[in-house]
Amino acid sequence: MLGSVERDLAHRALDTARTRGATYADARFVRRAVEDVQVKNGHLENVDRSDIFGFSVRAIADGAWGFAASPILTADEADRVAALAVDVARASALTKRGDARLADVKPVTATYTTPIEIDPWKLSFDERTKLLLDAAAAMKQAQPSLRTTRASYEIWREEKLFVSSEGADIAQTLYETGASIAAESVGNGEQQIRTYPGSGGRSQNTAGWEYALKWDFAKNAPRIADEAVALLTAKQCPQDIRTAVILSSNQLMLQCHESCGHPIELDRALGTEAAFAGTSFLTPDRLGSFRYGSEHVNIAIDSTREGGLGTFGYDDEGVPATEGWAVKDGIFVGYLMSRETAASMGTVSNGTMRADGWSRLPLIRMTNVSVMPGTAGTLEDLIADTDDGIYMDTNRSWSIDDRRLNFQFGTQVGWEIKNGKRTTMLRNPTYTGITPEFWGSCDAVCSESEWTMWGTPNCGKGQPGQVGHTGHGAAPARFRNVRVGVVS
Amino acid sequence: MGERELKRICDAALKAVDGDEGEALVIARNAALTRFANAAIHQNVVSREAELRVRVVRGKRVAMVTTDRLDDEGIRRAAREASELAKITPENPTFGGLPGDTKLAPAPSAFVERTAETTPLDRARAAKQLCDAARAASLSAAGYVSSSVQELAIRSSKGVWAYSPATTSGAELAALGDEGSAFAQRLSLDFGTLDVAGCAREAIEKAKAAQKPRDLAPGTHEVVLEPYAVRDIIAFLGSQLTGLAVEEGRSFVGGKLGQKVTGDVTLVDDPFDPQGLPRAFDLEGQPSQRLTLIERGVAKAVVYDSQTAHRTGQRNTGHALPPNPFQPSAPMHLRLEPGDQTREDLIRSCKRAVLVTRFWYTRWVHQLRTIVTGMTRDGTFAIENGEIAYPVKNFRFTQSYHDALGGTLGTGSALTLLLPGEQFGLQVSSYRVPPLRLAAFTFTGATQY
Repeated sequence: MLGSVERDLAHRALDTARTRGATYADARFVRRAVEDVQVKNGHLENVDRSDIFGFSVRAIADGAWGFAASPILTADEADRVAALAVDVARASALTKRGDARLADVKPVTATYTTPIEIDPWKLSFDERTKLLLDAAAAMKQAQPSLRTTRASYEIWREEKLFVSSEGADIAQTLYETGASIAAESVGNGEQQIRTYPGSGGRSQNTAGWEYALKWDFAKNAPRIADEAVALLTAKQCPQDIRTAVILSSNQLMLQCHESCGHPIELDRALGTEAAFAGTSFLTPDRLGSFRYGSEHVNIAIDSTREGGLGTFGYDDEGVPATEGWAVKDGIFVGYLMSRETAASMGTVSNGTMRADGWSRLPLIRMTNVSVMPGTAGTLEDLIADTDDGIYMDTNRSWSIDDRRLNFQFGTQVGWEIKNGKRTTMLRNPTYTGITPEFWGSCDAVCSESEWTMWGTPNCGKGQPGQVGHTGHGAAPARFRNVRVGVVS
Repeated sequence: MGERELKRICDAALKAVDGDEGEALVIARNAALTRFANAAIHQNVVSREAELRVRVVRGKRVAMVTTDRLDDEGIRRAAREASELAKITPENPTFGGLPGDTKLAPAPSAFVERTAETTPLDRARAAKQLCDAARAASLSAAGYVSSSVQELAIRSSKGVWAYSPATTSGAELAALGDEGSAFAQRLSLDFGTLDVAGCAREAIEKAKAAQKPRDLAPGTHEVVLEPYAVRDIIAFLGSQLTGLAVEEGRSFVGGKLGQKVTGDVTLVDDPFDPQGLPRAFDLEGQPSQRLTLIERGVAKAVVYDSQTAHRTGQRNTGHALPPNPFQPSAPMHLRLEPGDQTREDLIRSCKRAVLVTRFWYTRWVHQLRTIVTGMTRDGTFAIENGEIAYPVKNFRFTQSYHDALGGTLGTGSALTLLLPGEQFGLQVSSYRVPPLRLAAFTFTGATQY
């Protein structure tokens, strides 16, 4: 955990900022250690370890915001960066239309460390890489015709110190572990992929190495290898039909991320992301009354839940982790907020300001935004309860408009459901819809036993760009009358 | 930081390497971005960043360590850690060794001192100019003004030394009315010539015309694409014009070099284009070659880095990104060659078509077929009888990009310089693209705005 050296520099920077005229300032020191390892086609192709350390100062002067950052950890540089942050704030005031105001937060002295069972940094390198090499071998053994196999992990440790001119002093150490495998096949004019346990790069949690071990790659590697090859000759997903769709847990989590997590960001709703990330159909006048989904839809904002990538002690404004609701019984009831946006709504922040390392400004980001479990039993129970439809599993493609209404997703694999049974495999499944109509068509969410906390370590937002790590719990759910198969 | 300092860092790293081969890559940036929304600056950042990436090779074992501790002890520690990691890393039998020293051709300078000296007040004044212009037209403004300096240095134990400083500046404006918006962007290596007024004029005039959009049925439409939208097509297709994409069986030109793959367009990668973001070398310090990737619709070449070239028995074209297994190479200076028509000519030649300002949230649906889905955004219009007739509500499209270029009916004569966001922590790519008129583009859905 960062200590007295960084704390002294932080206080020096804050003193300089105040002397220069800042009415508020905070300093963040962040040291991030990451190890990324990728095995491709059975060979360890990439070992990349990084240790990045720096600090930033955020200041309000003349009623406007400034920010400056540097990796040079000296007293002179602390002075320079603090003074620059104030200069930048004064320049911002050139267009000011009102003074920046912050909602109250109690300044605390506190520490927080992610609870982990197995510290991945204390394992031998061989122990970590063996997991990947064994999984890669299992995929290739099951299906020698695979064009490409991949296996990867990432371990992450971030030490943070937040000190504010209001008196906050918060030190945190966050751990993350992620791992995934992928099988890719080519042939028959097709290119297909299956990944496990999540989609894309990897699934990740705030956790130790126990998270990499829980997925049982040895058992699942042959299965995804078989599915990747089978997809080459699988039946094409029906084109432009309407039917019931059951989304897997890992697909529903991305559906939630894109069509609920982003539109409940209050900065979007207030227009401050209008040029880039976009705005939101969930405007403030809709808070507390807008029907976002059916009564089966309950979406929580919870940065206290163990394991989520949005789980921490305090956000990057020193606001403690909270739990609450974005959608309750289908009604839109809550935003993700910063201290400044909360003040504009006459409330207090729920602690969602997060920065991508030391060199970036904290932004409103998802913490853990999760579709909470329903009462539909297991996935097999839900399929058994469905006469006709398609089960879609694991994301392959995702796109949504800048107000978060019109979306289109593709999954890696689908299966027809006929008379309560999963039957024929489908390739290239896609579905599309309009957010509130889609969630309004949800008539069942599986129970707690099917609920998994997923993690997306690749959420982009902001200019300059930032990569956010967000958590999303989800269980499989069913949606009626969905438009499926918009492309061949 | 300057060439001498970056060379010192590289030399110190290589001196501490214990291995058969070593490589030091330094990326240093001073980046500033002034962001505004609701016609006021709300995020205003300045950041000094510098990273050293040390790659160590022992036989077929390779490891890399990155640090931003650039004092002597920090450099030594990173080099030693990479060396130790390379001792215990499993062998990669496909690794072909680090590339050697090759003479670099001179490239035009991409550095402008005036950009490096830009102050917070300079950027704030430009932002105010954009906000004030929008307000005068009863529009709200969101966007940014930026300036940055980026230095790259690569040195290896095999004699490689490459250094390049570059500056960029940018202005972006989304002009927003109650019922419609429009977008414009300008980029320049020289902040002093950054066309802020032109950016404001383009976005505001288009935003005025974009109010109260009407419904237009989705379906397959002829289109005129502004350069912002064309850039998206070129970026997606460019990502498949690599040796790795061909090797992995996901490229639309795989097995088709010498064959017609799209319409009458020519796409080159030109690292020496003085109107782009020129740089003579790649991220392994190898000379970047000017390549014609697609010539009048015929696939001619793909780009390689050293390792993909070694593995596939091809020639390294000098297009390496920082070492990574997913995208080790890319065409980084793409230019879609101009035609002979103005933007207005392209519009005038349409009986019925859709004018698209830009695409948004575009994602692969099927890489091999180059099928992409995404939205139109910030200024979509119906063209009727050669004129922009009225604004239309935004569409979702699902379209094979190389099929779309297959129906190229006209290419604009003016090229626009555009940059993507940062990749691997640096500004690595630039695009110069014209507007295009395409015969068919498939819109598969519509929005309510």
